[in-house]
Amino acid sequence: MVRNLWLTPLACLILGPAFPASRSDDSDFERDILPIFERTCLQCHSGASPQGELHLDRLESMLAGGKSGPALVPGASDRSLLVSKLVSGAMPPGDVNLSREEIGAIRLWIDGQSAHAAGVAYTEKDVLPIFQMHCVNCHGKAKQEAGLDLRTRAARLRGGESGPAIVPGDPGRSLLYSRIISQEMPPLDEIRPPTTAEVEVLRQWILAGARDDPPGTEAVTDRSLAPEDREFWSFRSPRPPALPRVLHPEQARNPIDLFLLSRLESKGLGFSPEAEPLVLLRRAYLDLTGMPPTSREVLDYLEDREPGAYERLLDRLLDSPAYGERWAQYWLDLAGYSDSEGIVDEDKVRPHAWRYRDYVIRALNGDTPYDRFLTEQLAGDELVDYRNQERVTRELVDVLAATGFLRLTPDGTYNQPNRSLQDKMDIIADELQVLGSSVLGLTIGCARCHDHKYDPLSQREYYSLAAILQTALDPYDWRPPTERVLRVALEADLKEIEAHNAPLQVKLRNLEKELEDKARPYKEKFRKEALAALPPNLQADLRTIAETPKGKGSSLQRFLARKFKEVVEPTYAALGDEFPEFKESASQLQTDIEHIKNSKYGSETNFRDKTKYRTLPGIRALYDMGGDPSPAYRLNRGEARSVAERVYPGVPRVLSGNGLEPYRPLPPPGRDTSGNRLGLARWLTQEGHPLTSRVQVNRIWGHHFGRELVTTPGDFGRTGSQPSHPRLLDWLAAEFEDRGWSMKAMHRLIMTSAAYRQTSRVGPGASQQDPDNLLFSRMPLRRLDAEAIHDSVLRVTGRLDPTLFGIPVHLKEESSGEVVPESTPGGWRRAVYVLKRRRMPVSSLEAFDYPVMIPNCGQRRQSNVPLQALQLVNGELMRGHARYLAGRLMDQSPGDMPGQIEGLYLEVLGRYPTSGESRRIEKSLQRLEREWRSHLERKNDPAPRGPGARWSALSSVALTLLNSAEFMYID
Amino acid sequence: MTHFGTKFRGSRRDFFSRLGDGVHGAALAWLLQKDLPGSPGPGQGRPRIDLTPLAPHREPKAKSVIHLFMNGGPSQVDLFDHKPTLARMAGGAAPRDLLNQIENMDQVGTLMPSYWEFSRHGKCGMELSELLPHTATIVDDITLVRSMYSEHFNHEPAINLFHTGRTITGRPTMGAWVTYALGTENQNLPGYVVLEDKNLPVNGIQNWQAGWLPPTYQGTRFREKDPAVLNLNPRERLPNPLIEAERSLLRSLDHSHRMERPWQPDLSARISSYELAARMQLAASDALDLSQESEATKEMYGLNNEATASYGRRCLLARRLVERGVRFVQIFIEYQIWDNHHSLKEKLEYCCRKTDQPSAALVRDLKQRGLLDDTLVVWGGEFGRMPISQVRDGGAAGRDHGPDGFSLWMAGGGVKAGYVHGATDDIGHKAAVDRVSVHDFHATFLHLLGLNHRDLVFRRHGLEERLTDQYPARLVHEILA
Repeated sequence: MVRNLWLTPLACLILGPAFPASRSDDSDFERDILPIFERTCLQCHSGASPQGELHLDRLESMLAGGKSGPALVPGASDRSLLVSKLVSGAMPPGDVNLSREEIGAIRLWIDGQSAHAAGVAYTEKDVLPIFQMHCVNCHGKAKQEAGLDLRTRAARLRGGESGPAIVPGDPGRSLLYSRIISQEMPPLDEIRPPTTAEVEVLRQWILAGARDDPPGTEAVTDRSLAPEDREFWSFRSPRPPALPRVLHPEQARNPIDLFLLSRLESKGLGFSPEAEPLVLLRRAYLDLTGMPPTSREVLDYLEDREPGAYERLLDRLLDSPAYGERWAQYWLDLAGYSDSEGIVDEDKVRPHAWRYRDYVIRALNGDTPYDRFLTEQLAGDELVDYRNQERVTRELVDVLAATGFLRLTPDGTYNQPNRSLQDKMDIIADELQVLGSSVLGLTIGCARCHDHKYDPLSQREYYSLAAILQTALDPYDWRPPTERVLRVALEADLKEIEAHNAPLQVKLRNLEKELEDKARPYKEKFRKEALAALPPNLQADLRTIAETPKGKGSSLQRFLARKFKEVVEPTYAALGDEFPEFKESASQLQTDIEHIKNSKYGSETNFRDKTKYRTLPGIRALYDMGGDPSPAYRLNRGEARSVAERVYPGVPRVLSGNGLEPYRPLPPPGRDTSGNRLGLARWLTQEGHPLTSRVQVNRIWGHHFGRELVTTPGDFGRTGSQPSHPRLLDWLAAEFEDRGWSMKAMHRLIMTSAAYRQTSRVGPGASQQDPDNLLFSRMPLRRLDAEAIHDSVLRVTGRLDPTLFGIPVHLKEESSGEVVPESTPGGWRRAVYVLKRRRMPVSSLEAFDYPVMIPNCGQRRQSNVPLQALQLVNGELMRGHARYLAGRLMDQSPGDMPGQIEGLYLEVLGRYPTSGESRRIEKSLQRLEREWRSHLERKNDPAPRGPGARWSALSSVALTLLNSAEFMYID
Repeated sequence: MTHFGTKFRGSRRDFFSRLGDGVHGAALAWLLQKDLPGSPGPGQGRPRIDLTPLAPHREPKAKSVIHLFMNGGPSQVDLFDHKPTLARMAGGAAPRDLLNQIENMDQVGTLMPSYWEFSRHGKCGMELSELLPHTATIVDDITLVRSMYSEHFNHEPAINLFHTGRTITGRPTMGAWVTYALGTENQNLPGYVVLEDKNLPVNGIQNWQAGWLPPTYQGTRFREKDPAVLNLNPRERLPNPLIEAERSLLRSLDHSHRMERPWQPDLSARISSYELAARMQLAASDALDLSQESEATKEMYGLNNEATASYGRRCLLARRLVERGVRFVQIFIEYQIWDNHHSLKEKLEYCCRKTDQPSAALVRDLKQRGLLDDTLVVWGGEFGRMPISQVRDGGAAGRDHGPDGFSLWMAGGGVKAGYVHGATDDIGHKAAVDRVSVHDFHATFLHLLGLNHRDLVFRRHGLEERLTDQYPARLVHEILA
């Protein structure tokens, strides 16, 4: 029967792995399995260079495995890669097929292999994942409970208070093994036990001598680097090219134009005419500050008739704090900035992340050179000796806050169930994704599970990069985000919070004491009753434990305390369940305590509420943990459970040597920090690094021109797009370094080019020869993005609160379901200051493609869906803002309809209306006024009908202008 | 890029998609949904970004999907998967491999049989618990899969897995993939509608995100409370002539603006977007108007009963949306009612009171209207629950999360009627016979829609991304009609 053969191995799995090892041997393989493989697999998986480096002709080579790790796990077909590939149909490719019976036979054979019979000598790397997942949290780097450290062979043999953890060759006498078998360890109330299969691996490993893998003894083959890999354009240092000759040099204002013109002229094109001054004014404002000019600024600009007015405008804008607020958002997208942890549904608010946001704004406004900007973000903690500072300065706080850059990806490890080794590995992978996509311009994440399929990045190199971070982000010595906070704060900030908390602390202590007093008699009663139910010899022990202070006593006592913690130290909740009268009398106290503790957010972010505790200021920083880092490994298929060879900090070979300084750690003398990340920053910002400057100038260019020179700004590899103007890109990159990595200099350079000053009107020639504007024959028409819409509407309607920096603006959910930022006494603040929660995006930003940061966003999308129109036309806030603006205009020019219309145009669109437009608006106003009057009458509105209807009508016009294409697009 | 070939030919759904002003929205939609700047580089091809209906890889069985997502993890051994052995082993210790999967280690109990009786129903004799009397009446129309298994024992990753094929966040959901592949037949309504409960489910809006697919394909939330669609109307209802006066001014301003700027398709698209918004106001209001339904229908869905009204209303809305050509409708359940860590007896009864009748009514109603043949209904959660008890602080027993085995049912859209697939082990812990992974489910589900899971791809970073990712996924032939 076909079916039986298929079912048998499954039945075995259900029954567990206790399967007679004698069921199969080599002759089974040769008789039953090899013929199947010969027909279906060996064509590719045998010989001198098999596919995936996997040989399937002998058991040993299958165990050794190929690029994706071992092909089979003896005794466990359901965990064997071979079987999952066959079952899924992923293998074999093409028309070759295996029947169910054949797959069944293979499974049967694998399940019949015991590790022992298969001749597998388990070594350290087979058991490391078991220690790493179940043991080293308490017996590792940070803690050595009972004096035990399980990380090295020597320490295991030495053991702890109770003796050696391992006796090679004798599982029965190895405490490590017997404690696990007896389920004493790991403590089941905290940590999940290893599986039966894992325990078996452990047993066999001890039996075979508990071998370790000394570093460097493994034969490691990494993919070899071909000479042409280094020749790929983005892996070669940019060489400043000669300036091209053009037919019409008079069209050029600076060298940028020469590069663009030479391409345009080859198509018989030139630049489009220069845009009109007011168009240029609006473009510059929106580009540099994310908001259009106010009417005052428009009028001033029209007044300035001296030469150089445009250049002076640029200087003014670059000096304005609004510049940093605008451009910070681009960087925050790359960093994946968020004020919440994500992962867990609670989406815990990060109390301190905003200091990073403020750092970025300040750094941009201060024009911190880009090399310094990167160094501070990658290794601020290694730049300054922050542990030995006499006085905390703003600069010190900023340079530490800068390291928040690699602390912004989702992190659920504050929640016990989300703290598995794999969870931690995922966080590190996300941080590498941020680093790769923002700074390196490489899709390094592709090399997490296998060698990169297109770029010369091996899996080993991926884990070498991760190893650079390991002295700070160590998966085997992890700190949840709540504990990964540097308490370095300005004196003034501290004082302010201490003053806020002092009265609350007294109140809290009193309340807690009151509660404990109330609970004491119940606790004793509870203990007595619970103890009575236990064996007498235990009772005495537990009574002693109840009297011993927490964390003291012998390891056995502490073990018992954990086991019987409900008895020894019953929770208030347990007391409440047992004694309803306690529950009732304690409930108000508990509520009051919770209120003050404010533990749901426990944050700086509720600072306005005087009745709630504010946690001390902290910095969400990335910092070196000091001491010896845990060893780092390559992981087969990216799985924490599948450890391969050891790796050491390093960078991809293709970006090292060949004229480039190699990576090396730069430990600052006399301090306990590895210098790993300082070395990374130095390597990245060295002169002529092929990627660092190119990637950044490409982004700056893109934000000005609506399209990057390399349209995949996070991927400069083979799958990315080629630069549309390679020589211009290299020239800009070289220029960037020459100008001291000044970003403001690059803005000035780009914005004073003739290319940038072109009109956006499409001429007939350009529409034919350059329909997609690939040659930059005009400026593109661009829609405002989410933040620009939010900020611009506030600004032109007079509702903007321009306060800089600080704790994020909180959100509220309207009865309509819309999530909106709270207003302040001054109006509403810019979008960059609004709390960014992953699970609660601001509706208006979300509708216009504000990204969910998972983990970051390298390129915004721009969708055009009807919900956007609905929001801008019907949204309560939009209507309110329009109404506010209309009201102010009526105040300014009471009774003067043409004056009000002119005001409206100046405020919203930054120009005077034409006479045709004025007439059209006047006509509409009359119609709208009639409609509003009859509406007010019908609903019997208390407003005076005449002025009420006029105000509403002017509001309708204001709303319409805010919705107009002219407002929403940059010419 | 995949090529989907020729256009779907219209059907009964045409009637609804032509509602409004008589324009078939496809051409407009193409302009509207355009993903503006940032065009991809050479060799990447421009990804599809509109909602025009496309033909699948082969003749589909199902044209629309209604996914009744029972987030929280319904307990299979109390609802669908009768385990007499459990009664015999009651009070016994849990096996070690089960403990390895437990979320709350400090609350581990012992093997616990179901409180409820099971009996056989319908011509097929499907065995169900007494908690599901209404589902019992449609057993001859459904396929029950008793051998589903998940990869994670926590809600967030397991829900991600079920919706997106991976436990990590950030990938497109099934609904996004399906609308990306097939578009939708009514251009005046969204192609992918999410009918949410009073509050957001675990994972929030990520449950219907488009991930790295163009944002056009993300689910549109229809809220449980009024207003169902945010900003469909201003908070203060304004008379039509007033709205029209505002609209006509905008139209005329934008028209002039566009005339001065030839060769700017974005501006035309934007103007159409405002027109479509106006039409959507009509179409959505029509779809949401349940007063068009007969009393008998409302009664059948339990709209007159407090326990069933909210979920019943959403089931009925789901039918109305599918009827109007919406491709993918997903219903979520208030917070996590199926997550019965404690007080299983009381809480599971509550869940079934709320959902049993409307779920069954939906299948029956679709069948009566001839819609069941090409509408696939899926009922199920992200995982199941453990056969052992969980005891928290001495309270009434519940069950902890059980990822290794759970049940799920499907109806219509090309699945067998009155059929049971697979089985768990003796205690209902692990899927044992004919195991179905979430990826197998995805492959099968796409197959019913006429799509090959291997061929439905989106190119990203030079790789072909799939709903089933690189995972093994087997088409579950056995359940196909």
